[in-house]
Amino acid sequence: MRQAEDLILRDYILSAASEIAAGGGTNSDNPTNLGLSDFSLVGATLDTNNAYKFVTGIEGMDRFGTGPVRATYFMLSSTEIQPDFDALIGSGFKSQWDYPTNASALPSEYGAILNFRILTSSEAPVARNASANGRDVYYNYCMGKQAVTHVDQDGFSMRLIYRDPYYSGMLAQNATLAIKFAQSQGITQDTAIRVLTCTRLGNNSTV
Amino acid sequence: MEYNRFHQGTVTSLGGATPVILPFLPNWITILNSTRTSAASGVNQASWQETMGQGAAFVNTVGVPSVITTGGFSTFYAGLSLQYGPVVNISTITAANPAVVTTATAHGLVTGNVVIFQSLIQSATTGMQQLASIPFVVTVTGTTTFTIPYNTSLGAFTAYNSGTATAQATVKQVLYPTLYFPSMKFISAITLGATTTVTTTTPHNYVVGQQVAFRIPSLWGTTQLNSLPNTVIPGSPLYGFVIAVPSTTSVVVNINSTGYTAFTTPAVSQLTGLSFPQIVAVGDNNTGSLLFGFSSLTINGPTISGAFQNNTSQGFIIGPSIAGTAADTIYWQAGIATYSNRTLQQTII
Repeated sequence: MRQAEDLILRDYILSAASEIAAGGGTNSDNPTNLGLSDFSLVGATLDTNNAYKFVTGIEGMDRFGTGPVRATYFMLSSTEIQPDFDALIGSGFKSQWDYPTNASALPSEYGAILNFRILTSSEAPVARNASANGRDVYYNYCMGKQAVTHVDQDGFSMRLIYRDPYYSGMLAQNATLAIKFAQSQGITQDTAIRVLTCTRLGNNSTV
Repeated sequence: MEYNRFHQGTVTSLGGATPVILPFLPNWITILNSTRTSAASGVNQASWQETMGQGAAFVNTVGVPSVITTGGFSTFYAGLSLQYGPVVNISTITAANPAVVTTATAHGLVTGNVVIFQSLIQSATTGMQQLASIPFVVTVTGTTTFTIPYNTSLGAFTAYNSGTATAQATVKQVLYPTLYFPSMKFISAITLGATTTVTTTTPHNYVVGQQVAFRIPSLWGTTQLNSLPNTVIPGSPLYGFVIAVPSTTSVVVNINSTGYTAFTTPAVSQLTGLSFPQIVAVGDNNTGSLLFGFSSLTINGPTISGAFQNNTSQGFIIGPSIAGTAADTIYWQAGIATYSNRTLQQTII
């Protein structure tokens, strides 16, 4: 059920939000793979638009290999481009395990770069073979606080529908499991969200 | 699928492919064209089961039965974003207004379909790669030709010819281009003046009264339309309202753009990381008007006024070979049968 809600909101944002194409990468495509300048540009755009950041920073601690994390917006990305984030270690990307403390890290959080903390999902939108040169295009949702909303409708009438299995023999067993809900979604602040499109440095598929 | 489901109703033929939207994907369909029956001419009955395949039908042409394999019934399911049709190679694209695309094989498109292009590279510095990866609505002019609403006669473009190009250009259909509307649209032209006329690359689905914002990167010229930064009142977004809708791909906005930088197209050399100019629906939406033949009704009932409309749909299409004549009245029945005779035969020992 929650997955269905997320997919609906994902497709809605894809339809309604404006896009910025990554140009800071090196694969000469349009959009390019992600580079440090892309995060800087989108961060500056959201800052200029007076977007609110989700979380405050994480101060540094005396732990080898860790470093402080800035106050950030969230970026929702695909798990398929995690190798490209890894390639930016040393160029500003900090893996979640290199945070001074993981107390505030979310389970799907992959890391942080400049003013973004990155959450990855296998169900992030991907357009196969859709870039100018035919690479897969990934849509990364960069958003500040209160940029989007999702509202349960119909008097919060969400229902779980379940009917026990019944059978009349080994070849006739069936059950029913379903949900019924009504929701609406909206972009509450269009200046506080941007979809950063990108491709990958390589285009090797995950298996 | 746990239950058998059954729906029935009437639809007015469009004279060609006629869609019927359902809250489920049927595996059997039957129609009766009462107009053809009264006229005693044409296809007055047709039926289908999913094992016949997409596009097939059992047909009764006023008492003469037959089976067809194309132009019959087909089903379509609830759209998912970012789904595409087969890739078709391109032979040529003209530098003209509008641009004429010729494909190497039959493209299979109909007017109103939306497509995207890849590899519009004539050489390292020429071609139309600035148009790659963004959607365009097509107007079909032949089985291997169609036009797109873009002026490629501008100096930034050179004609594409696969015979001499360094890359093979391709085109493919965007199967579900508009899951929610009003949606963000890419801009193909802007006419400046006391009011601003904006042309989009695909049908914009805006209505009079829709509040809009602009995102125009500097390489495309008219950055003064951007909602932010606002040079007059920094931090205060600049919005406009749609005051007229001359066509499905153009709107007039109440922003006085006299003296603004002219809209232009970047050169091929500026393609890498090129963001495209966009118009975005913001604020309360004036949904509820006709769009692509749909009314404000969705599969779940009327649109909530002010909301984004969910265009996700599924159902079946009465194909051109069985849809009769435009304005014919067609009675239809469709459903899901969870057991077929073949299945029963297989389970009986």
